[in-house]
Amino acid sequence: MSCLLAIDTSSGTSVAVLRDGVALAEVEIADTRSHTESIGDAIASALAQARVQPAQITSVVVGRGPAPFTGLRVGIAAAIMFAEGTGARLFGVISLDAIARREFLARAGKAAAHAPSTGPLLVTSDARRSEHYWALYSGLDAHGVPVCIEGPSVNRPTDIEEHLATAGITAARTELAISAAAIGELFEAQLSAGVQSHDVTALYLRNPDAVEPKNLRDFGKRVSG
Amino acid sequence: MTNWIIRPATEADLGEIMALEHECFPQDAWSAENMHFELLAHHTTYLVATIDEKLVGYAGLSKVPASDQGDIQTIAVSPSVRGKGLGRALMDALLNEARRLHAQEIFLEVRADNPAAQKLYFALGFEHIDTRKNYYQPDGIDAWIMRLIMPQRSTGREPIVLGIESTCDETGVGIVRGTTLLANVISSSMDEHARFGGVVPEIAARAHLEALKPTLESALAEANLSLSDIDAIAVANGPGLGGAVMVGVAAAKALSIATGKPVYAVNHLVGHVGADVLERGQVETPTVALLVSGGHTSLLLVRDLLDDVELLGETIDDAAGEAFDKVARVLGLKYPGGPEIDRAAAGGNPNAIRFPRGLTQAKDMEKHRYDFSFSGLKTAVARWVEVAEAKADSGEGEELNVADVAASFREAVADVLVSKAVKACLDHNVPRLLLGGGVVANSRLRELAAQRCAEAGIELRIPALSLCTDNGAMIAALGAQLVMAGRKPSGLSFGADSTLPVTAVQTL
Repeated sequence: MSCLLAIDTSSGTSVAVLRDGVALAEVEIADTRSHTESIGDAIASALAQARVQPAQITSVVVGRGPAPFTGLRVGIAAAIMFAEGTGARLFGVISLDAIARREFLARAGKAAAHAPSTGPLLVTSDARRSEHYWALYSGLDAHGVPVCIEGPSVNRPTDIEEHLATAGITAARTELAISAAAIGELFEAQLSAGVQSHDVTALYLRNPDAVEPKNLRDFGKRVSG
Repeated sequence: MTNWIIRPATEADLGEIMALEHECFPQDAWSAENMHFELLAHHTTYLVATIDEKLVGYAGLSKVPASDQGDIQTIAVSPSVRGKGLGRALMDALLNEARRLHAQEIFLEVRADNPAAQKLYFALGFEHIDTRKNYYQPDGIDAWIMRLIMPQRSTGREPIVLGIESTCDETGVGIVRGTTLLANVISSSMDEHARFGGVVPEIAARAHLEALKPTLESALAEANLSLSDIDAIAVANGPGLGGAVMVGVAAAKALSIATGKPVYAVNHLVGHVGADVLERGQVETPTVALLVSGGHTSLLLVRDLLDDVELLGETIDDAAGEAFDKVARVLGLKYPGGPEIDRAAAGGNPNAIRFPRGLTQAKDMEKHRYDFSFSGLKTAVARWVEVAEAKADSGEGEELNVADVAASFREAVADVLVSKAVKACLDHNVPRLLLGGGVVANSRLRELAAQRCAEAGIELRIPALSLCTDNGAMIAALGAQLVMAGRKPSGLSFGADSTLPVTAVQTL
């Protein structure tokens, strides 16, 4: 029996336990400011609901964002250490890809899960500071893995629209939010396509807010914590 | 540091020991034959203290392996160096040895007319349990029998605890067994902060995420253990940089669930105090602790490591380490500023410039008796340098003497830190001071602390530098103390608290 633990903290805190690609349990905490407090209970309760012991988890997959800094790290740190503690294999996926997959599947209808969908899809998520993370997808491949044609990037919504208009792309939108179950399902699709990745580095897409002091004697710019 | 050296006695010391024996105990000195026998006996430990290779004290412990009792047989300190804490240092060294030999009780005899010695023994935890009449002849002075019950260790196997530290720019993983250090691995993001002249919180947090796994694996390799050997996990949940602390907390929780081992959320600052158990087996209390780093400048009164820690004062603006970094920038020196300024100050005159000592005026001492302020000092140095350079440029003055500025600045910082710490000890009648934090690496701070503590009769504790800077071992050590005291684990709901008060030793 191979069980999968899926974690995503790119918006709220979401943890799911899957077996053979099917979610046995999923815990969602929508609050975007309590990742650290929530992550332990979320993992423990997802395992308990699924009646799965930590040692039964053979793979851990985590959403790498893109997402604002602090929350994203909580999920990745937890995934790294859970894998370390259980000896499970560790994988990473791009969180926006999981939304794209679900949206395409919803469009096509579950019966025709692997039928090619038509028309590009724009997936966005809140990047704070009046910006959005975004990526553009053309559809699903034969294994159900979304094909990303642009992004992920971070821009102001008006700039994203302008960019698409200039390129002559009319893209559909989705209201779906990220969930760990979707992360797990995407991973299973990647596995069957042989395109799974061990890369779990965080997709920040922004540099740290820090200013190199121009004048070494200028104490005005506080750059230290 | 104190200028004496304590080492095991050898046969070659016999002559000097006997000279001091006759000087200290003119009426009832041991014979050279007896002393020689005791020095060489298998069941004894004799230590000598020397200053510039001249013997100034000695002390002996007797502990038979079959017995769990030990005796302090003798202790002598040359009259020329009394009142500087040497007697205490010799006693501490003997008691450490007794602890190592698993002694449960230590006995000694002291003259009823020697209150100075009695006071020292009381301070070490000895009790007066009996009196032998007319013991010391020919004076007919009574002997007090005093006993120290050694602090008990847990009777069961000592817990192996893994500690995670991520409150600033060091990712630390340490492993201890009870009070024994097994591993202490640190990965620092210091170099990445250099071009910014100070720690950038987001850079530190990103580095923690990347360093966690390799640091954990190195620590396990160093301890030659696997995760299944670990009994509990401890993590610093604050105070510190919020985003940085979160990485360690999330990691600790997931590791706890994955391994089925309990997690203990402990206070980073109290962890600095707890580091001392790794060198001494315990934190002797009460103690004042002066914790000085790039993020903290705090004076703590520790009456009990797990249950009674009080914040006496802290910096109201910059941390002392920050002041070093900023003044280093003013002087065109590199980051981190502490070691750079230490180097630049060598050969400089610490009294060349009288820089301000923050919050030491009479009016400040009412409200901020134990608080610190380094912002004014930093500005004063910047202004002084500006003026000096302007004068040099216009030909009115000499070139800026960087060594003098660095030495004078460093003196001002060390002076105010040590003065307030010693004052805290005296005000609260606490006979010991513990230093912690990265700024402890500063040579002048150590020197001045040693000097002022010796003058005031305060015992100074400075753990090894690897335990003073931020590290996972101190977090593991404090966690192990909680485990051994039978405290319950922290659950999984605790958060990262950037302003966690020192009164919260453990967050449940």
